[in-house]
Amino acid sequence: MAGSALRRLMAEFKQLTQNPPEGIVAGPISEDNFFEWESLITGPEGTPFEDGVFVANLSFPNDYPLSPPSMKFVSEIFHPNIYPDGRVCISILHPPGDDPTGYESSSERWSPVQSIEKILISVVSMLAEPNDESPANVDAAKMYREDRSKFNDIARKSVRKSLGL
Amino acid sequence: MTSETNQEFNFYEDELIDEKIAAQQTAIEKEIANEQKLVGDLIELNTLLNEYLAEDTVYRSKITELSERFRYMRKTRGDGNCFFRAFAFRYFETLMGKPDEINKLKDLVNKFTSDLSQLGYNSFTVDDFKDVFIEELEKLNNTSDIRLLEEIFNNSGSSDYIVVFLRLIVSCYLQNNSDFYLAFLETYQSMKDFCSHEVEPMYRESDHIHIIALTNALEIPVGIIYLDRADQEKATPHNFPDDSNPNIFILYRPGHYDIIYRN
Repeated sequence: MAGSALRRLMAEFKQLTQNPPEGIVAGPISEDNFFEWESLITGPEGTPFEDGVFVANLSFPNDYPLSPPSMKFVSEIFHPNIYPDGRVCISILHPPGDDPTGYESSSERWSPVQSIEKILISVVSMLAEPNDESPANVDAAKMYREDRSKFNDIARKSVRKSLGL
Repeated sequence: MTSETNQEFNFYEDELIDEKIAAQQTAIEKEIANEQKLVGDLIELNTLLNEYLAEDTVYRSKITELSERFRYMRKTRGDGNCFFRAFAFRYFETLMGKPDEINKLKDLVNKFTSDLSQLGYNSFTVDDFKDVFIEELEKLNNTSDIRLLEEIFNNSGSSDYIVVFLRLIVSCYLQNNSDFYLAFLETYQSMKDFCSHEVEPMYRESDHIHIIALTNALEIPVGIIYLDRADQEKATPHNFPDDSNPNIFILYRPGHYDIIYRN
């Protein structure tokens, strides 16, 4: 099982290195362990996260890609769909039927033909367009809805922090 | 600031409940995994009588009647993949020691792989499943040793990969014939949506549409025998397609599929 997972992870790493999606870099943290990855995600243009470079780790199960990885931001980030401890809560990280925050039925879900690239692209869209229905971070969702300029301020602060400024 | 801390506190409580639910679910799944092999040994079908109370006459008389025509069965694990796994095991069993038929299936597998690529599926997401499917299939070319097949299907590495590839075949077939099948969908707007939620993910249960698509895609008819509480004397047979004469039979009890063998 782990052998097939490893083969798949290596293929995806190769693919991501050869054709990196814009604003995304990802790969294993160490060559000894292909099941723990680090990704660098650039905040999308035209959003308060613009210019930020956010670090998030991906942890792959032994039966990947039958089961999805989990993803957790290491960089501080205040966002409706990211738990205060950094864990990312979006539908593509869950198989259908597994509904931690009651996703809409049309939302993109995990299946073995999804990929790390698709997860990372979904995370970039999530940064650009937070989903404030049934959020992972209630404070962030509330502020996003009710006090957008304060939310944007916090986002811009996290951008500077992500750059070590 | 205080309110933020409180919020966080609540969040961790919710979190604990989520974790407890997840832990309980894992425990249940483990229990099922320990109790039932992915594909069980050959047993007599009338042993199913043990699962029903003496007063459950509807089930008991249907089982007794059915066991006269189908003496043996194999149970499959109830993990949502049971239809695909039951079908795959029985289909592979009929191919053992028949290299010509295996080659025909390999051609079909290659055709679906290139169709999937036409539909925009990345080869790195499809090839591993296809490769395992073909690798295991080729092992059956010159053997009729059922233990080998039991081993392939009880090793989750090969067994699950075969299931995934059958799911991909169904998805591919449905998307390429969506004009016809779209009419069967109730809650989904597009075939792509249906496939990515109900076909491609592991552990999603199969419905009529999956069965019809798989039997049409592979051109392998299957007979499903419905065993339920309906007030009839016999379990109800249904062949896919209707006018076919299948060699592969599957027993359906509400929510679950097992393999059965016609005498």
